[in-house]
Amino acid sequence: MLATVASSTLVGVEGRPISVEVHVSRGLPSFTIVGLPDASCRESRDRVRAAIVSSGLKWPQQRVTVNLAPSSVRKAGAGLDLPIAIAVLVADSQISGSAVGEVGFLGELGLDGSIRKVPGVVPLVHAMRAGVVVVPPSCASEAELVRGSAVRCAAGLRGLVSVLRGEEGWAARPPAALPAPSAPGPDLADVKGQPLARLAAEVAAAGGHHLLFVGPPGAGKTMLAERLPGLLPPLGTEEALEVARIHSAAGLTLPAGALLRNPPFRAPHHSASLVSLIGGGGAQMRPGELSCAHRGVLFLDELAEFPPAVLDTLRQPLEEGRVLVCRARASVDFPARVLLVAAMNPCPCGREGGPGSCRCRDATRYRYSARVSGPLLDRFDLRVIVERPEVSELLATGAERPAPESTATVAARVVAAREMAAVRGVRANAAIPSSRLDDLAPLQSGARRLLETRLRQGRLSARGLHRIRRVARTLADLEGDSGPVSADHVYGALALRAELFQREEAAG
Amino acid sequence: MSEPVEDPPGAAFAAALAGLPGMGPATLVGILRRWAPEEAWAGVCDGSLRRPEGRGGSGAPEQLDLSDDGGGPPRRSKPGWRDPARRLDPPGWWARMASQGIRVTWPGQPTYPRALEADPQPPGVLFWRGSLEWLQLPCVALVGTRRASPDGRAVAFEIGRDLAAAGVCVVSGLALGIDAAAHLGALGARDRAGSAGPVGVAASAVDVPYPRRNAGLWQRVVGAGAVLSENLPGRPAQAWRFPSRNRVIAGLVQMVVVVESHATGGSLITAEAAIARGVDVRVVPGPVHSPASVGSNQLLYDGPGPVRNAQDVLDGLGLFLSPANDGAAPSTSPSDNLGAEARTVLEAVGWRPTSLNQIVERAGLTAARTMAVLDELEARGLVGCHHDGWVRRRSS
Repeated sequence: MLATVASSTLVGVEGRPISVEVHVSRGLPSFTIVGLPDASCRESRDRVRAAIVSSGLKWPQQRVTVNLAPSSVRKAGAGLDLPIAIAVLVADSQISGSAVGEVGFLGELGLDGSIRKVPGVVPLVHAMRAGVVVVPPSCASEAELVRGSAVRCAAGLRGLVSVLRGEEGWAARPPAALPAPSAPGPDLADVKGQPLARLAAEVAAAGGHHLLFVGPPGAGKTMLAERLPGLLPPLGTEEALEVARIHSAAGLTLPAGALLRNPPFRAPHHSASLVSLIGGGGAQMRPGELSCAHRGVLFLDELAEFPPAVLDTLRQPLEEGRVLVCRARASVDFPARVLLVAAMNPCPCGREGGPGSCRCRDATRYRYSARVSGPLLDRFDLRVIVERPEVSELLATGAERPAPESTATVAARVVAAREMAAVRGVRANAAIPSSRLDDLAPLQSGARRLLETRLRQGRLSARGLHRIRRVARTLADLEGDSGPVSADHVYGALALRAELFQREEAAG
Repeated sequence: MSEPVEDPPGAAFAAALAGLPGMGPATLVGILRRWAPEEAWAGVCDGSLRRPEGRGGSGAPEQLDLSDDGGGPPRRSKPGWRDPARRLDPPGWWARMASQGIRVTWPGQPTYPRALEADPQPPGVLFWRGSLEWLQLPCVALVGTRRASPDGRAVAFEIGRDLAAAGVCVVSGLALGIDAAAHLGALGARDRAGSAGPVGVAASAVDVPYPRRNAGLWQRVVGAGAVLSENLPGRPAQAWRFPSRNRVIAGLVQMVVVVESHATGGSLITAEAAIARGVDVRVVPGPVHSPASVGSNQLLYDGPGPVRNAQDVLDGLGLFLSPANDGAAPSTSPSDNLGAEARTVLEAVGWRPTSLNQIVERAGLTAARTMAVLDELEARGLVGCHHDGWVRRRSS
């Protein structure tokens, strides 16, 4: 007898439909799986057999052949356990073929017949070619994000077979967890002082400009970076689904009940390996932290402590917004459009006593700053030196100082600025191609004179010029000014681009 | 400043003599004062001029074994001069060096720095690239530690710039830190009329930039002034060459200014060499607690007077700033007639580097406004931009 059941497998962050075909024929009892299964998938044999037997069902003492089609796609993971088991039972006529015609299955089987959670449910369910999808109960909320009412749950193989035989109805879905009230993230109002750093965060959010904070430990670099996702506009449905697919494929826990509308914030530790950051891995390639931060913020604290080779791999994805990870077996395209925010100390001593108090040797400072390559440093449109706030500032009461602006106030300006960029036809101002700068970010005569002076003094390079102009455009947008960029905006952009490291002796 | 393209006759042989094994400056000076280089070379090749016995350092010409009547085989097995000399073709070798812009001079030549002719330990030959004519101007050495503080670097830069603008040749050692800052300062005054080019005295050969990071600076100093060294082209920097280089610096100048020095360091050796030669030594006072100023402050305590800026140095030399470089002699201080906004920003900038973030915070203006005002203040010379912040400058 022959049976075919629909399922899907994960390639990168995308699901691929798979049809599980089982043929049961006379011959010496055997059980083979063909169709490019990887090691984890081949292990299904033992789990499926044990689960069927311990669920009180009959294992066909015949020649059982499983084919996973199309055979060109490598199948990985245990998610195909359940469809294989169902297909075997159909082929052995223990379930009627018509009961599974329009149903897709997904789940890992326990030896006792229980059905367990698998990673990547969102893209897997999304890709499945079936009217109704059966998933383990713990995956139901994720599956519902993409399939809504077509999702059915089954906790065990025995119960599922009864349902398919028409002996009982579908188990009630676990009550949908109440959409977690989207916890308000940390608020910008908590940051005291730091006017320049606050402005930089706002500009980064509004224009998609990568941002580098340089400052001693305790200056509030991390605090500022954590507040950046709150400034970004919330994700639209399409974007949120895309993010959910990536996070699901990466095995991250998705919030119950609703799509995540807050832009993601990922902060990998500086011991991160190249693959963990970019994506890749064994047979089943997983998205890296870079892709997990897609449409959100990737925060690299202690930038200079990351291995330089790892950092330099970020350069191309930052430009292209995606990363193509290639292995001998397959190439996978991971989305990677992130806002990169990084923080580092100015030098190994951290300049404890404020500016000018560094006790490091020149060579030490030079080596430290050289850990971040020039090309990567160049990707940061915004570079701000952050100092520890002054004591008076920390202890100032509300009466002495006006309350700092809250996240909501700033986010509103960011949304308005983003809309102006959208009208211009660019995703964000940081993405304005240099050939279109004259068109999209024209300069007033004062601004032109100022930039000319800087260029002539050698205090600005040609690349720096383009970046300054993009940031100035964003500053103008934040003020609601869509006309040519003024000298004031250029000054603002210059203020946000500190010359960080003394390279004069090296440059000669 | 035009440079004679032709080498003086004998240049190849003078240079080749400097490359003989065990040839020290004293021996070489002795030989070159007595014979023309080609004669001395011929003597070496035919064995009549032999390597002196014992340590070469004491080598006055009278002590050389120059007897024609076969003084017998050398009594020690130190490598002699004759065999290496016969293997070398000085004109061919020197033509290659000269094609790289390397020149040579020795005592008695018109190009040889006059100050060194009377020196107790003059270099036997000097190799150089660039133009030595700058050394005919008043010369001041600006020396200091390689591990300089930002303040020290800023001071060295400013003194170097102002001295060069006043037509004083700034001599330094092309090292990192203070030396580099002094050279950069002098280079910064290049486009002012009447400014002097910098002269770098290297501890390696003139064609071996050391430290490598300073290779760019090295080229710029060659272009604007000169790099000189008593070491044969191709010789690397070695520890023992540094004190020897420092004596050349001390011998070239009318005043040595120590900007910053740790408790021990090459700049103290330069100062010592200068004192031994009766050359004026001055010290820029540094913070009492700063390790980078321990040595220079000790020196200051021991006697030499302090200098605060280029004007003090010029006073010490008996020179005066030419009026053209006098900062336009403002009748009013530039900090007068500042707007209220500019005054607020100026007061927010400290005398020690202040980060832009702090200035914006203290001044209470927008970042853009603050930056615009700082730009204006910088143009008036009231503040300076520093790699880790802004510093206030004296207005005169």
